Amino acid sequence: MQANYELFSGRTRSAIKTLDQISIWSGKAFAWLIIPMVLCLVYEVFARYLFNAPTLWAYDMTYMLYGSHFMLGAAYTLAMQGHIRTDFFYRLWPVRWQGTIDSFLYIFFFFPALALWLWAGYDYAAISWVRGEVAISSPWKPIIYPFKTVMPVTTVLLMLQGIAELAKSLYAARYGKWPIIGTEIDDGEQI
Amino acid sequence: MSPEILGLVSLATLFVAICVGFPISFTLLFLGVVFGYIGFGDTVFFLLVVQTFGVMRETLLAAVPLFLFMGFILEQAGLMDRLFSGFRMMLANVKGSLYIAVLVTATLFAAATGIVGASVTILGVMAAPIMKHAGYDVKLSAGSIAAGGTLGMLIPPSIMLVVMGPVVGVPITELFAAAVIPGVMLAALYMFYAVARSYMNPALGPALPDEEKADSVGEIIKELLIGIVPLAVLIMSVLGSILAGLATPTDAAAMGALGAFLLSVVYRRLTWERLKKAIFQTMLVSSMILFLVATSNFYGAVFARLGTATMIAETLVALELAPMVLLILVLGLIFLLGWPLEWVPIVLVVIPILLPAVESVGIDLLWFCTLVAVCLQTAWLSPPVALSAYYIKGVVPDWSLRDIYAGMMQFMVIQVIGLLLILFFPQISLWLPTLLFRN
Repeated sequence: MQANYELFSGRTRSAIKTLDQISIWSGKAFAWLIIPMVLCLVYEVFARYLFNAPTLWAYDMTYMLYGSHFMLGAAYTLAMQGHIRTDFFYRLWPVRWQGTIDSFLYIFFFFPALALWLWAGYDYAAISWVRGEVAISSPWKPIIYPFKTVMPVTTVLLMLQGIAELAKSLYAARYGKWPIIGTEIDDGEQI
Repeated sequence: MSPEILGLVSLATLFVAICVGFPISFTLLFLGVVFGYIGFGDTVFFLLVVQTFGVMRETLLAAVPLFLFMGFILEQAGLMDRLFSGFRMMLANVKGSLYIAVLVTATLFAAATGIVGASVTILGVMAAPIMKHAGYDVKLSAGSIAAGGTLGMLIPPSIMLVVMGPVVGVPITELFAAAVIPGVMLAALYMFYAVARSYMNPALGPALPDEEKADSVGEIIKELLIGIVPLAVLIMSVLGSILAGLATPTDAAAMGALGAFLLSVVYRRLTWERLKKAIFQTMLVSSMILFLVATSNFYGAVFARLGTATMIAETLVALELAPMVLLILVLGLIFLLGWPLEWVPIVLVVIPILLPAVESVGIDLLWFCTLVAVCLQTAWLSPPVALSAYYIKGVVPDWSLRDIYAGMMQFMVIQVIGLLLILFFPQISLWLPTLLFRN
């Protein structure tokens, strides 16, 4: 599900390419969080049943890894056209309409909602940093502010990728062709 | 405008916006913010971050990426191939043996993964050419591949059930227990149907030619030991430890992922490239599902605060329908929505709206969830929107779409029979969880 960069020229091309690369590279990097997630839980299970010494930290680590994993992957999923859409009607429409509707909704739905989320999430994380907040519900009392920062980071990554997606939609609206290779818009069919 | 009516307007807008085809997560996010702001002002932003953070901290949902990872490793390692050839050899003398081999492989794979579409494609690639070569009936072949592939939605560790548990407020463990017997029952019904047809008319599923048969019993036993036993042990230990209450689904999923990894290393099927592919696929699918969980959870919180869900429930209850009638109406609606929508938005958006009504007439939620799961599985098999049909067509281009549909329809009828059985004999679903957890 790669974009066809040849169709764009000059600065637009390098901008879209860079934005795509940021999302894809970061998403692939964060995807590896699944490995420590598995290891934490496996260690915990062995510690609990074999050594009879459950850890204090495994569950905190698990939710932090899991929460960061899917949130920080959201922009990558957007770049790979992976966020589920109802294509029941959508796929029947001419590409120009698809592009027009998508452009419109990126501008009026996507960016305003994410900007507000960024603003709220930034405050939420900033307060946590200032207070040096720890998770009081856990006996381990880990610091929680890095984890809370995941939310604003996610929104920034999504907005960056949103710019690239908006450019692709505008192209589709104008030229009646998606600048994406293997264009069948996929909708998570493999679950 | 009263808050309840505002909620209804947001729901109508949501329905239109979802049908337009913009990614659902962002639609939910936007509508939640807008209608929440109109309804109760600045609080909506607080709700947005707190609700999202709640989902990010939900250890139960960590089972989603872990089970996906386990499934993608097993898929990348080509274990299904091995299972299929094992069963094929074992059953060569039986009429309709390939149907059984497909369905048993699909059932075991469903018990190991919880993913739907992928298994339809793999089953198609593996089985369809062999079935064609052996002169098997096109309709029955396509139908059994499609039906077998949908079992992953129902048989634990189904990803759908993992997501449904927290949404409905039922323990995932109990949900798994409730789905085991219905899943096995449906698989058995499929097999019974395919074999019965083959015995009545051997032309539909002839016994295999001699060159397909194993040379000796020893060879069959060897294939069984190597191909089937380790996977069966993996499945039994993952599901067994969950159902015995020894491990939470999240713990078991992590152990299962490790087990799948070790198994595919021992089989020498896991390469660096395949491992990377499994890791990236896990990221894409879990982010798609869980990001939608987060945004729909936020929208749901706004909707609940506006009081509309309660209003819908009160209206439905005021109609004084018998619980059974209400249940059938709800299931019918879910089945219809299962055509345009995927299971993810249905479970996350539609069910929470209908849930208060279902709860208020005292319907057992475990039973309800099982029925919903079977219902959505049926929708997966119903032409003309069933994606399985396109997968199969993609794999075997010379099977006509019409034959594929006709085959799927036959299995859809079996699905409906299964659904009615569970509807009229709730024990099929409730017996095991009652035995394990409720005494």
